[in-house]
Formats: sequence, C-alpha cells, structure tokens
Amino acid sequence: MNNSLDRLLDGMASTLRTQIIPKLDDDFARGQAFGVIYMLNSIRLRADWSIDFLKDQLALQATALTALNAALRGRGPALPDGALPQALVSAKALQDLRDANDRAICGLIVWLADAGLPAPDRAAIETILDRYMTDQARHELKTSARPMFAEMSRGTEDA
Amino acid sequence: MTETTALPTDAQIEARLAAYLGEQTGAPVALRGLRRFPVGFSWATFGLTASLPDGDRDLILRLGPDTGLFAPYLARPQYLVQKVLTQTDIKVPDAYWYSDDPAVMGMPFYLSEKAVGEAPIPFVSNGAEFEPGYRDSLARDFVDQLAAIHRFDWKASPLAEWDTGQTVENVAAREIDFWEHLHDRWATRPYPMVYRALTWLRANLPVAPRVSIVHGDYRIGNFLEVDGRITAILDWELAHLGDPHEDLGWAFLPQYSGNSGLVCRLISRQDFIARYQDKAGITVDPATLKFYIVLNLFKIAMTQLAGVSCFESGDFDDMRMPAMGTQIFAAFRQIQKAIEEDA
Repeated sequence: MNNSLDRLLDGMASTLRTQIIPKLDDDFARGQAFGVIYMLNSIRLRADWSIDFLKDQLALQATALTALNAALRGRGPALPDGALPQALVSAKALQDLRDANDRAICGLIVWLADAGLPAPDRAAIETILDRYMTDQARHELKTSARPMFAEMSRGTEDA
Repeated sequence: MTETTALPTDAQIEARLAAYLGEQTGAPVALRGLRRFPVGFSWATFGLTASLPDGDRDLILRLGPDTGLFAPYLARPQYLVQKVLTQTDIKVPDAYWYSDDPAVMGMPFYLSEKAVGEAPIPFVSNGAEFEPGYRDSLARDFVDQLAAIHRFDWKASPLAEWDTGQTVENVAAREIDFWEHLHDRWATRPYPMVYRALTWLRANLPVAPRVSIVHGDYRIGNFLEVDGRITAILDWELAHLGDPHEDLGWAFLPQYSGNSGLVCRLISRQDFIARYQDKAGITVDPATLKFYIVLNLFKIAMTQLAGVSCFESGDFDDMRMPAMGTQIFAAFRQIQKAIEEDA
C-alpha cells in the first residue's frame, strides 16, 4: 500500500459524502453510507498499518543488505546493516527505516552503473539486487487484494 | 480542498460553457444532458448536448483540474492534434473549441465531437473473448490506424509547432528525462526498481527509424468501434513527437492483453508487426521494441506513482488514484521480467 492509512480513510469518507451520497435517492441507503463514514472515522482514530507487514519488508531488506555488504567488501557507498529494531516501535518508525534502507539501495544501484567494478563482482551484486527486488515485489503482490479495474471503469460488477 | 471543489459543479459548468459558446457562435446556446463518464483517469470527461445555431450537437467536454493526475494541463496540444488529424484518413473526433485561460472555465478545457461507437476495454474480469470475425476486423483497423499516425507528415502541418529539436538520436533519451523528472515530482518513497530501470534504459538507448507523431496511449480502451470497425481513436493527452516503436511497445504491454496472450486482445505480436511494417513502411527492431516495452512499463509505474501522489496531497478524492497506486509493484515485476527477456 503506497498511500498513508489516514489519507485513505479520509479520502474514502470524503468520496462517500461528496460523490456517492448525493447520487443516492434512497433514505436507507444514504443512512447506511453515513454509517460507513462514521466507522471509517472511528477506525482512523485507532488503526495503523500492520507492524508485522512492515517487519516482513524489513526482513527482506536485512537479507539483501547483509549479502550486499559482503559482496561490496568496503567498496561503494556505505549501506546500513539492515538490523531489525529490538524494542517495540511504531509503524511510522518502521516505515521510516524501510525507506532509509531502500534509499541506500537506490544509491547503490546508481553508483554501480558507473563504478567500473570487475564484471563478475558487478554481476554478483546485481544478482543480489535483482533477488531483493523480486522478493519485495512478490511480498507486495501477495498482500494485495484482487484488482477491480474492470468494475471501476464500467461502474458495474459482473454477476 | 476536494475534487468537487476543484472541479466546477454541474450548474457552474453549464452556465460558464453556455456563456462561452454564446460568445464563440454569436448566438444564445442552450445545454442539456451534462453527465460525467467513469472512463479516463486524468482529464475529467463529460458528455452533453448543445443547441447551437446550426442545430443540436453532442459534445465531449474535457476539463483539466489543477489537482488532476498529470496537472498542470494544457488543452491546446490535444485540440491541435485532433484538429489536424481530422483532415486525414485517421479516425479522430473533430475538435471544436479549447481554452487554456482559467478565466473561462476555471481550468483548461476543450470541446470535441462525440464520436459514435463503443469502447472495448482491456480489463476482463470474466475471461470473455471477442468473436473471431469481429476481433480480426478490429485488429486490422487497430494496426492500420497506428501505421497511418506514424506515416503522417507532421512537419508539413501545424503540428510542426511541437518541434523542439527532436531527432532520431535524442528522442529516447528525452523521453527518459521527461519521465524521470515526473518521478522526482511524484515519488513519496524510494523504490530501487526505479533506479534499476533508469540505469538499464540509459545503457540501451536506441536510434529511432523516424521521428513521428506518437499517440502515447494507443491501446484497447482508447478507441471506439461500430460493428468491428474503429470509428475514433481517443485520448490524445500524451501525444508527442518520438519513436514510433513507443506506441507499439505500449500496445504490447501485458496490462492491455486481458490475459488473452494477444496485443490488446486483438492480434498476435507477429501478425501485428508483419501488418504494421507493411502499412507504416517501418522495420520493427526487436531491441528497440524491448527498450520501449521497458520504458512504457516504467511510464505505467510512474503514472501509478502520480495516482498515489495526487491522492496523498489531499486535493483529489478520486478512489481510482490510490487503487492505481496498489499496482506499482506489479509494474516493477513486469519491468524486471522485460529486462531479463531476450529481445
């Protein structure tokens, strides 16, 4: 998920209020929609992104960063060690750590393109990077709902 | 601020548009039947009927809100390309009026012909396939229309105003620069695959066979048809000068195959290329096609980033935007596979 949870919940409530409810001509249906808005607002006060989900992302980074640091042998930009925080931390702190790790990996990719490393060394690093990006994508896709773009384009759902 | 405050209300649209059309035609204009269409992820698209001095006319109105996906918008390029190509055999809805002056509608807008036909879409949730005769007829038109766009002599037309020094040597690099700039504007977090794709693209720059008009979003979902014949090529928002392979690479994306294994649910890659080469007079280069498939997947990912960014800003409540944003890693996975595949 790439938008913040608060913004998603606010956007859903606003969409219901401004774009859906005014088009509903049934009192009960409108009442139900306001019920959804109320519950979205309630969830917003207490919910956060799953810490387990973020820890899974960080675990993939830790594996990649350990392998990259070994392959680089001190060459190139400094990389974090990818260690997971031991203390209880917030989802926001874990997101910041994930982004800092990915930012360092982005910097490594840019450096690698012009670093002039021996071909086998470069290939070994690229293999680790490709494996990380594959694992990162698989994790994201595994935790995503079935897309509904046909329904969003047509405004109807197949029976 | 929400989208509904960024976009005029229906009543405001009708009042402003009636006044504008009255000025343009020199007579009172009445409007009716204004309705917004669910298609289109960028410009807000409406249908309406105008009672003009020469009779009733069904119109398409497109509004470019400053909170939209590709904002800030300019209406002139779309107006111009449609107006110019209307004079050719290419099936394009005629463009009637436009303005980039926010004093008129509060944002750029243009009005075009409401072409007849239905728009088959790429998203298939029930596995439906086209009837073969219908599909083959559409496929022929789909290829032939693209070839005609790429054959068009833009230098001898008003579209020559798009010439900013594009050459067969520099169009690929310019396209990368354009989308990298948008990435820097839209990215809300770092994605390693963005940099993997950019470094691969810059290491594999092709030379174009010619600089042509590129539609920029040529695919199923962006044309209308009647009885298996294409009646209109739509959505010229991303049209520009570039390498014709760019349009092929776009139409070939898996996003538009509907799991059919065909280009846009219509035709095999081999048959598309064979017919296109014959009609366009261009030899399709496999390495160049691969480059543009990767670049186009990158553009897909950047467009999804745009959806995340404009929704996250709080100015735009269209729920299709964060939904698009959920697909970024699907595009990244496709980029990686495309890079690894042989040309």
